[in-house]
Amino acid sequence: MKIISCIKPVPDPASRLVINETKTWIKDQDLTFVASEADNYALEEALRLKEKHGGEVVVISMGGEEAARVLRSGLAMGADRAIHLFDEKFKGADEFAAAEALAEAIRKDGGADLILTGVQSDDLGTGMTGVMLAEFLGIGHATVVVGVEANPDAKTLRAKRELEGGMNETVELPVPALLTIQFGINQPRYASLKGIMAAKKKEMKVLAAADLGLADHQVGRAGAMYEVKEVLIPERKSRVEILTGTPEEAAAKLVEKLRKEAKVL
Amino acid sequence: MIFVIAEHNNGRPKPITNELLVAAQRVSREFGQPVTAIVLGENTAAVADDLKSRKIDRVIRIDDPNLAQYSPDTYVTALNGLLADEKPFLVIAGHTTQGYDFAPRLAVKLRRPLIAGMVDFEKHGDRLILTRQIFNAKMNMKTAVRGEAPYLATASPGAFPGDEVEGGGNAEVVSYAAQLEGPSTRKVVDRAEAQKGQADLSSAPIIISGGRGLKQKENFQVIFDLAQSIGGSVGASRPVVDAEWLPREYQIGSSGQTVSPRLYIAVGISGAIQHLVGMQTSRCIVAINKDAEAPIFKVAHYGIVDDLFKVLPALTKIFNDLKAGS
Repeated sequence: MKIISCIKPVPDPASRLVINETKTWIKDQDLTFVASEADNYALEEALRLKEKHGGEVVVISMGGEEAARVLRSGLAMGADRAIHLFDEKFKGADEFAAAEALAEAIRKDGGADLILTGVQSDDLGTGMTGVMLAEFLGIGHATVVVGVEANPDAKTLRAKRELEGGMNETVELPVPALLTIQFGINQPRYASLKGIMAAKKKEMKVLAAADLGLADHQVGRAGAMYEVKEVLIPERKSRVEILTGTPEEAAAKLVEKLRKEAKVL
Repeated sequence: MIFVIAEHNNGRPKPITNELLVAAQRVSREFGQPVTAIVLGENTAAVADDLKSRKIDRVIRIDDPNLAQYSPDTYVTALNGLLADEKPFLVIAGHTTQGYDFAPRLAVKLRRPLIAGMVDFEKHGDRLILTRQIFNAKMNMKTAVRGEAPYLATASPGAFPGDEVEGGGNAEVVSYAAQLEGPSTRKVVDRAEAQKGQADLSSAPIIISGGRGLKQKENFQVIFDLAQSIGGSVGASRPVVDAEWLPREYQIGSSGQTVSPRLYIAVGISGAIQHLVGMQTSRCIVAINKDAEAPIFKVAHYGIVDDLFKVLPALTKIFNDLKAGS
């Protein structure tokens, strides 16, 4: 099985995020980027499927040096090779433009039996890109997947989806297929020192917009379906009463409030 | 026209459908566009009958045996045909395991904008501006859709109050014949309740819930200590369960349990909307978090902005002292 695992670089969750001057995104110049958390679960699942069924795992990402960085981490975790979509023109892509570029790159690489993405990214968090990618490639998909059972001989797979209200649904679909992987499906491995050393010798193919046969109006900000008007910290229409003082004082005030005012104790 | 893709089961609209209708009715007032509810499925007469009493213009039934069970390819084919015929201004689906499963495919097929996870909207001149949450609800992003209609949006559960849906209507119910190529290539082979454990929190009067702020599994002891001193149950947010600090059965939120206790104490939980929808109807909510910007404070009644590892032992001591004294 050839499995492609998509990785999005996002600011390290520990970073302090500040909105940029034009109020259209965050200041991202001095941030450290890591793989979006759900994408780690997707890559781990890809590696486990390869260990079981054989084949190769290819990691793919779009962006500048931060994308190369998450791809190297993916190679160190055990992926066999990497594809880096690297071009100034890709900047400002929305989910639609990103999915179209990824689709062209995957087509150029000869397609795949299985494509995995995280269920959603830590930045935009909409969970759209993977599903859009499936439509661009004309293959089936399943979202919010908490279990995968591949049957390469029958060219099918079963995916267990997590639904609302504590329900699960198992679906069967033909491969090639795309799955968006839910948090917690597995425990992602850490890269070993040996893996980090081995990663340096692995192939990292770099592709620009022109390599994908995409016109300028189809990529990056120009290819986006919406325009960002403003990024802002939401006003808190809050009823909250913040209790101050030392931890002991605040705790004492809280107990008093819960007993006398809210009367819930 | 504003289309709402109704979700339903057992012949009744799901609660999210009312939320979508509220969003549509509000957009309708600003843009002067009538609202139409779309019901896909098999034997949907009862759902359509229920929906027609809302203050909307029309209900369109797409009744087909191949739509009996939700699947993205059949939904996309059916809706693609309908949208080509009707040319609506806006199509609203739920940001649910159904809505975000098919809406992105439909957007690509139509090559039209999709704003996912909408929580609010504005009208700037004639332009529709949709707001969604980014960076785990720490920030909002206002986006303007580009090009021609139709525009697609999925609305976040909990963002629009379903109980404010306007009724008193008597909408016309019409049928639309979808041109489906056959059954879905994605077949549902099983549907079951995820494993439920001992921790049934649905009737717990007091819940102390811990999140990522606990930093590691061992630290969860401070939550259990407080729960014991106050006589409450323990819950957790999704990251805690994903990291296997606690079993899945403790999870509160959209993919876990929905709770409404007398007292809910959220400790080290930032308050992603997926968590909030599972606990925001609690009678009294307390948030303890060192990040004053955390969205959990938006729904809390009382808050302490400080290090939980200092606040919790102090609270536990007070309750233990009270017990010893009484």
